[in-house]
Amino acid sequence: MAETVEDVHQLDPLELWEHARSFEFWFGSVQGYLEGSSYGRHPEVPEKVTDPGERDRLVTALCNYCVGETIALEGAGALIRVAPNRPSKVFLATQTVDEGRHLEVLVHRLLELGVRDPEAEIERRASPGLREFQRRHQELVRGEDWEAALFAQNVILEAMEFSVFHRHAQLADPRTREVLLGIVKDERRHIGFGENELGRLLTRHPAVRERLARVRRELDPLVMRSFEEAMRELGAPEAERSDLARSYLQAVERLGFA
Amino acid sequence: MSRGEEQEDARGPGAGGEPEERPRRRFELDDRGFNEVPAKYRKFYRRPEGPGDKLGPNEVLCPVCKVIVRSPRELREGDRIYCMACMTRLRVTRVGDGLEARPEY
Repeated sequence: MAETVEDVHQLDPLELWEHARSFEFWFGSVQGYLEGSSYGRHPEVPEKVTDPGERDRLVTALCNYCVGETIALEGAGALIRVAPNRPSKVFLATQTVDEGRHLEVLVHRLLELGVRDPEAEIERRASPGLREFQRRHQELVRGEDWEAALFAQNVILEAMEFSVFHRHAQLADPRTREVLLGIVKDERRHIGFGENELGRLLTRHPAVRERLARVRRELDPLVMRSFEEAMRELGAPEAERSDLARSYLQAVERLGFA
Repeated sequence: MSRGEEQEDARGPGAGGEPEERPRRRFELDDRGFNEVPAKYRKFYRRPEGPGDKLGPNEVLCPVCKVIVRSPRELREGDRIYCMACMTRLRVTRVGDGLEARPEY
């Protein structure tokens, strides 16, 4: 690839398709927003969470985000083996790195907030719905069900995280905001990968749609309820909470699941 | 809005694949601080800037990741563009008086 690009939209689609799934592309992307940061934020950002109630609500939200990121970390890593081609395997390797980073920065934020044993705190505060989603997702991954596992992970889970983290960032203290916005930037690649892979697959194999529709009916209420609870805890208005799923619902509509 | 409109260009199809007679305007793209793709692609994207932010004739919103995709030339129905932030290939379509982008898997 040349170092200057006159018009990205005129580049060869096959070349771009593979390039956008490469570590070369990933390095150039994350460098733009992670360079100079430490644990997902700039070191000089002050701590503004002092109210005990606010701290407690934030810890609950972060614990549930850690569960979501653990699901995605384990899933992205395990799906490398069953991904259908080399560029997808390489992309999932980059996503695995992203998810590991997300978990690390969220746990670090818990430690900053005074949580002494993050693992125990996550276990104590995790939403039962999210745990059930984790169990079902692990079954899909263990069964090497590429389409269903990718749908659950990169469409249902990632799209909800994308919406919730983006909204939470607008309400959050400065440190949490910067950490969440960094995660949202990674999530753009993940939701795009999931939607594009599944969109192509469904075009070639429309019969898969009915099976994925069943997965959707079973799993997405679990995630929606969990994140809606998290946003209620954070004080988002009722009208906004019901709006949280919009980005996800638009994605499933584009894939033909409306 | 894009800045730096500089010349006209008659390339590319118009609505329905038919060439439009009016030449396309061209735009000099500047870096708008979008840092989520490698440096050489950054000028082709920007973030939405709130309710007063109007899209230019060379811009369209990516429906997948909500980033604004920019082109060095005026966009028209039928154009193919890329959102590198979410790796989606998009087709420009006309909806009412405006343009929208839809994924092309």
